[in-house]
Amino acid sequence: MKNKKKYTEIFIESLSIDKKKFSEKLKYNDIPEWDSIGHMTLVATLEEEYKINFETDDVVDFSSFKKGVDILKKYNVNVA
Amino acid sequence: MNLKKLENFARNIRKNIIFTAFKAGAKSAHIGGALSAADIIAVLYSSIMKIKKQKILDDNRDRFILSKGHACLALYSALVEKKIIKRKDLETFESDGSNLLGHPIINKLSGIEFSTGSLGMGLSLGVGVALAAKKKQKKYKTYVILGDGECNEGSIWESILCASHFKLDNIVIIVDKNNFQQTGKNSSIMDLKDLTSKFKSFGCSTTEINGHNVKKIYQSLMSKTTNKPKVIVANTIKGKGIKLFENDNNWHHSIITKSIYKNIIKEI
Amino acid sequence: MNIQNNIKLWSSLGMRATFGLIAMELVKKHPNLIITTSDVSTSAGLDRYKNKYPDKYIDVGIAEQNLIGVSAGLSSEGFKVISTTFAPFQTLRCCEQIKVNLGYMKHKICMVGLASGLVLGNLGFTHCSIEDIGILRSIPNISIVVPSDPFELFKTLDQAIEHKNSVYIRLTAGSNSKIINDKDYEFEIGKAVEIKSGEDVSIIGCGNILWNCLEAATVLKEKNIKCSVVNMHTVKPIDKEKVIELAKKHKLIVTVEEHNIIGGLGSAVAEVLAEDKNNCKLVRIGAKDFYSPGGSYDYLKDIYGLSVEKIIQTVFLNL
Repeated sequence: MKNKKKYTEIFIESLSIDKKKFSEKLKYNDIPEWDSIGHMTLVATLEEEYKINFETDDVVDFSSFKKGVDILKKYNVNVA
Repeated sequence: MNLKKLENFARNIRKNIIFTAFKAGAKSAHIGGALSAADIIAVLYSSIMKIKKQKILDDNRDRFILSKGHACLALYSALVEKKIIKRKDLETFESDGSNLLGHPIINKLSGIEFSTGSLGMGLSLGVGVALAAKKKQKKYKTYVILGDGECNEGSIWESILCASHFKLDNIVIIVDKNNFQQTGKNSSIMDLKDLTSKFKSFGCSTTEINGHNVKKIYQSLMSKTTNKPKVIVANTIKGKGIKLFENDNNWHHSIITKSIYKNIIKEI
Repeated sequence: MNIQNNIKLWSSLGMRATFGLIAMELVKKHPNLIITTSDVSTSAGLDRYKNKYPDKYIDVGIAEQNLIGVSAGLSSEGFKVISTTFAPFQTLRCCEQIKVNLGYMKHKICMVGLASGLVLGNLGFTHCSIEDIGILRSIPNISIVVPSDPFELFKTLDQAIEHKNSVYIRLTAGSNSKIINDKDYEFEIGKAVEIKSGEDVSIIGCGNILWNCLEAATVLKEKNIKCSVVNMHTVKPIDKEKVIELAKKHKLIVTVEEHNIIGGLGSAVAEVLAEDKNNCKLVRIGAKDFYSPGGSYDYLKDIYGLSVEKIIQTVFLNL
């Protein structure tokens, strides 16, 4: 479950949140740190880490931690 | 409030206005609008505003902004009476390189806070200055004089909305309502209709007074407001104080010849 | 702060969102900072700043004349002020207030013009700006800087806030803007940066459109036309020395800007060249004094000769 650990770490780091604030139920705009800027930071970090380029639709659809797992599958990245 | 002192102050302002305009000669001067504002400015400078030469840059001073900048002769005259500028400086009015031009030029050491003259801008500055006071937690007040014609400018209403929105009870706006603008009566050029109601509906604590009754001016300036900007609509007469000029818009901007000067100076 | 990581992030965010992040840093260095806006917060990336520092943020609503007056009033009372809204409204709607308050009375404000140039072409020309540089150049006491990328915006704001004059900072491009500066470099308001060297033609640009200049230079090199590319981020005061030096070294100078060729960078360069003895030809690329039909950013760039292909063609035709 190294993959999930990495994915979680990226969330925590790019949104600049405390580990305690994190949960797998996290959704966009649930917390002040996951605002539009937090979102772009998250997207940029994921792209850098997994060497992919999200399509605009996917950037918009990426509305939660869980949804992100499904979206990354499209790009052959498995973080489940 | 010393009524006699106040009335004297106003009389001297009018003397200085006429004298300076006369000295300006062919360069001409804005006369009518300075005379209509004379009593308001007299009350402010003699009895209301915390301002003096020795502490002219003090951060706690009250700020005065003559948004209807063309009435500057009244401002310069008040600064002379308050001994902030010298009487002989009035003779440099509208001369080459002078600091005392036909509209005020910013010169804080001489008690002139901002350059005005392009109508509709002074109130915005006043709102910024009043906001600054709130942020710095300072008690100084900001006094802004508007012309009624100046209220044609949309920017005035932008500023009023703003002052009301930010609950600026530390700004006092006095409208010198002499019913004229450059080319004629407000009512024929751009009718302001019920100006007092307009300010009220914009969220200001508004009163309407006789702009030449120094006692009433003083009382309305001293009254307290909370959470709302104060507006005083002062009904005035353009050219007030000189019979020849009163309500005659030819004296908006004109020349005072030797013979006219000789006649009118007796009136003051 | 890791510069490399930030450069990539800032570019994906674009200049506007980056401005919001920069504001969060600036306020730590300048506690008497106040940001004033006309009903833009998200559009300027300022939501975080607004929420964290509500007492250092003043929104005057859709009233740009009041925006400048209030900003000047605050500045006169000792605050460091940055005002922002979309470029046309930041510069044209309140132009006289800029003249009187900033130019004439010399109150110091930094004005950030959002989405200038052609990036909002799909909204029509009310929301594009091809006049702002030209109009502000005529007002004394205002410097004009056009950052080439979000990293340069960071450096610009850092200096602008201490600069002696008011500064108009013109933002271009949107999110996923191009990276022009991929590592740290010397930046100084008023000093152009030569980002590529070449002895035949000099391409002088400002703003994110410099990317197209760099691409064009690469293609031209393959055809044995060597181009220097110069980032003239400060249009006023223009780096006269650099312009004269380039005129001595090259036979052709091409200026590139998302602006009318009248009044902007091209005109500023022309003014220097006209008063200098040189044998260098000047060609100005930009909007040739007309409003094109609206459309995408790329569509508009192409119409105004700002695409890579059209820049290459212009160089060829004028050699």
